[in-house]
Amino acid sequence: MVFSHPWLLWLLPLAILPLLLQRTHAKHYSWVDMLPADSLSDLISLLLKVFAVLTLVFIITGLAAPHTKEQKIERIGVGAQIALVLDRSASMDDPFSGGSSGAGNSTVGETKSVAAARLITDFVKSRQQDMFGMITFSNSAMYVLPLSENKKAIIAAVQATGGNALFQTNIGSGLTSGAGLFDKIPDSGSRALILLSDGAGRMDANTQQKIKDWFDRLHISLYWIVLRQPGGLSIFDTKYVRPEDAALPAEVELNDFFKTLKSPFKAYEAEDPKSLQLAMNDINNREKKPIKYLEKIPGRDYSDFCFVIAALMISLLLGVKYLEVKTWH
Amino acid sequence: MIEDIKSFSYHVGWRSRGRHPGRHASTQRGMGMEFRGHTTLLSYPDPRRIDIRQTIRDPLEQVYVRLFNQKSATPVYVICDLSGSMNFGAKKRKIKLAAEIAESIAQSARQHHDPFGFIGFDEVVREDWISTSSFKSYRAIAMAEALKDFHPAPVNCNGITEVYRYLPRERSLVFLISDFHIPNTLLEESLSNLLRHHIVPIVLWDSAEYKDLPDFGLTNVSDAETGEQRTLFLRKELREKIIASFEKRRNEIYELFMRFDMPPFYVEGEFDADLLTEYFHQFVAA
Repeated sequence: MVFSHPWLLWLLPLAILPLLLQRTHAKHYSWVDMLPADSLSDLISLLLKVFAVLTLVFIITGLAAPHTKEQKIERIGVGAQIALVLDRSASMDDPFSGGSSGAGNSTVGETKSVAAARLITDFVKSRQQDMFGMITFSNSAMYVLPLSENKKAIIAAVQATGGNALFQTNIGSGLTSGAGLFDKIPDSGSRALILLSDGAGRMDANTQQKIKDWFDRLHISLYWIVLRQPGGLSIFDTKYVRPEDAALPAEVELNDFFKTLKSPFKAYEAEDPKSLQLAMNDINNREKKPIKYLEKIPGRDYSDFCFVIAALMISLLLGVKYLEVKTWH
Repeated sequence: MIEDIKSFSYHVGWRSRGRHPGRHASTQRGMGMEFRGHTTLLSYPDPRRIDIRQTIRDPLEQVYVRLFNQKSATPVYVICDLSGSMNFGAKKRKIKLAAEIAESIAQSARQHHDPFGFIGFDEVVREDWISTSSFKSYRAIAMAEALKDFHPAPVNCNGITEVYRYLPRERSLVFLISDFHIPNTLLEESLSNLLRHHIVPIVLWDSAEYKDLPDFGLTNVSDAETGEQRTLFLRKELREKIIASFEKRRNEIYELFMRFDMPPFYVEGEFDADLLTEYFHQFVAA
């Protein structure tokens, strides 16, 4: 039990005032010795004083705002700590390419970001035990939500990813921020970072090294879902031969870099919502290990309780006031 | 103003020793009607009182005069309690009622040609509330008039033990006005000092003290003298207990006064002078 305003407790001695002060409206009586002793009256007199004292005690304690400290409870759940790193670049607002799976499916016309938001929402809903955190990035990372088990918050954050966006894709920043989410959080044993992007960007050697170190140190497995751009090349295209004296395409280069990570890595390629769904299901199945985490339970505030008791006492005293004799001399 | 005050008639059952002519049987020789005996003219040289019959019957041929007792005045005193409890009273404060009674007594004393004096006491004898014995009662009545608006301080009435020092040596008629909310030992001690005088205790009680209590409710009472606080939860049971307690007290003081042969006179609420006349007829042999 701690107090928000402990200095107010210095006022507590005021509570004995009702014992010291005489009730001013006492009637004068010629000779009190003549009144026979009456145990019920004495009891009421004592109770009234006790009530008055308690009223003051509870009001002052209530003002000092007593509350318990927040508690941490260790919980065990199945599932993972999952950081969502979502691409917010402007190209995400384009429809799926749908190139290889045919143009006749029903969700044609759904933009990549909307489909991603919808599927991720379902994904989040299906994994009640997981902790989710979220980072979005376009030209730089945007910190959205730390790892938390609050499903409502993460769903609201996913829904909020729509809207105007910039054109660049700074994957390096997104990844480092996403890895940063796991920093200083107890390792549950199952950590995953889902990177959802269309296309790729290049990273300099420093960033690459940093990502490598962090993912290794924090034991994060990486799932990369590439939403293919129309006419873009597939990272799984083994027949692709890069032209002479030209750099590798960013996607392929990034894929190659991810493969060098010491932590587990898996890449998916999605051309339409259906294949995106398949990718999400696959991740869903992979990340099912029991995790340990600490749940924070906020401290309870007892000041209302104090005020309610004080109000009860005051109403009791008011009731007694109503019983008071008014007609006597 | 003075004419409006209702008086009562009183008498005393003993012989006054006062020299001043008045209305009461006296031990003083003088121009009265009460034959006392004969003596020689030489020892009582008043030729108007020569008793010829007795003179000629005496073989030694002395001249005799008749002796008579005169009627004398008897000092009348009011000793009034000015302690805190006298401030109590529902319709009329006890101190005001006491002042009215004192006025009536002063008026009666004036009509009986007796000197009247007033002594007030609380925890000491109050020198500022003393009116010395006088045949002119106006001063005492003026003081009683002032007493009606006097609010006693919350003090006890221990001064009652000292009151006898302020009374004359000769036997007087003393009206002791108080509510007698006094511990018995204190009352007994002071009464035994007053035995020289003829005491008429006038007991002032107020019906609001015990009979006219509110039917139901909570109240706080503080003692008018000690300031002691009590909370009362008034209900039928407690009211009955209080009435019983006062009836017990009434018996107690009655028995105490009767041991000193001083029948108490009770006044509750209003004072009726005729009842005091009645009292003297009932309790004092003429």
